Amino acid sequence: MSSGSTLAACSALVRRDLTLVWRRRGDALNPILFALIVIALFPLALGPEPQQLQRIAAGVVFVALLLAGLLALDTLFRSDYEDGSLEQLVLSSHPLSLLLACKIAVHWLTTALPLIVVAPLLGELLHLADSVRWVLVAALLLATPLLSLIGAVCVALTVGMHRSGMLLALLVLPLYVPVLIFGAGACNAAQIGLPYLAPLLWLAAALVLALVLAPLACAAALRISLS
Amino acid sequence: MNALTLWFHKIGSPPTFYRIAGALAPWCYGIALLLGLVALYGGLVLAPRDYQQGDAYRIIFIHVPCAWMSLFAYFFMAANAFVALVWRIKLSEILAMASAPIGAAFTFITLVTGSLWGKPMWGTWWTWDARLTSELVLLFLYFGVMGLYAAIEDRRQAARAAGFLALIGIVNLPIVHFSVNWWNTLHQGSTVRLMGPSKIDSAMIWPLLTMALATHIWFFGSVLARTRIGLLELDAGKDWVRKIALDQQRA
Repeated sequence: MSSGSTLAACSALVRRDLTLVWRRRGDALNPILFALIVIALFPLALGPEPQQLQRIAAGVVFVALLLAGLLALDTLFRSDYEDGSLEQLVLSSHPLSLLLACKIAVHWLTTALPLIVVAPLLGELLHLADSVRWVLVAALLLATPLLSLIGAVCVALTVGMHRSGMLLALLVLPLYVPVLIFGAGACNAAQIGLPYLAPLLWLAAALVLALVLAPLACAAALRISLS
Repeated sequence: MNALTLWFHKIGSPPTFYRIAGALAPWCYGIALLLGLVALYGGLVLAPRDYQQGDAYRIIFIHVPCAWMSLFAYFFMAANAFVALVWRIKLSEILAMASAPIGAAFTFITLVTGSLWGKPMWGTWWTWDARLTSELVLLFLYFGVMGLYAAIEDRRQAARAAGFLALIGIVNLPIVHFSVNWWNTLHQGSTVRLMGPSKIDSAMIWPLLTMALATHIWFFGSVLARTRIGLLELDAGKDWVRKIALDQQRA
């Protein structure tokens, strides 16, 4: 039996994952709703003064999106593991890391990108300064793929477990710390009028590194947890 | 097979290691306790007061060795995890997982003693300083490794998964350290240097180094003791464990 070219396998995988998301498109809204609710909790807890909210706006939006992404991570391999198609991926003759990179890319497109689109809106709810808005979007565009890639490695480690939510958070959040520092750091620098390019460049460098290494690590982790 | 490889294979087999570790661990504990007491006497009684910090500085005789150990234990764990993943050596898996709780304990002691010192010196128990934060992240990394190891049913698979996480963590550790430094720093710089002269009086440095030695030896004693239990658990169905159990029952 011929297994076809790797490119064909990747595109089939991408098409399948996109179709699956589209068939359950209601679920795709959940991360956005979650982020919106978290954002709404902050003025309720801290009081509605615009100055105070403006000061913390970028950081709060960043953390809210990070947490929303964390909750969405679980869906990356869950259904594939349950119906057995994840094992077929591991057994296929194509490079597993490439297939997983496709899966992670689709997951980022369908969960993180909508969050980035609504991020300026969420910022507006907290009176985010105009000068920060596009820095925030740029930082998120660089940071969220990084979060997805790092998160995917940890999800691969916990893939066989029944209640992995809390444990996943424990594994992932320490690894998210540098991303958060640089991402939110760029926004804070922009807010007080300092140059913000350096942290963004660091994020970009880390993203390039993770794009190469994280799928390999993810494949290794998946082989461990499915062995 | 030459003598060295033979010795290596022999010591890696669970029954042999169990026996050797059982003989070594009490010695490690004893020497560590002795050295620790000497170091404490040197640090708390013999060493002069600091001209600026008074007696409060004396906590470094606990704090600094534990901080060194928190990193050393992590490197030990990651090195063993690497060996376990590459060469599939059962003993390395157990050694790596045995060092995680000890490293976490050293990290915890570092954080507690640091905040005890911070209260009189900085006027606060906790501050979001670079070193404190990266030490806290280190503690979370330890917890992650321990949590993952405890969550997976199959012990060998659990050790491999947790070891892999430890390896990811060790890539992450310098990045955390560097990024947090860039973010905020208040902690004083290092006074003890490996290269070049240390910025510390010799009456203060010998108790510090003795305590560092004591904590290292204690760490190895503790790892050996934990590894013995890990080996018993892993090989619970094997003959050599049954023999030990029967011997103890008879005694």
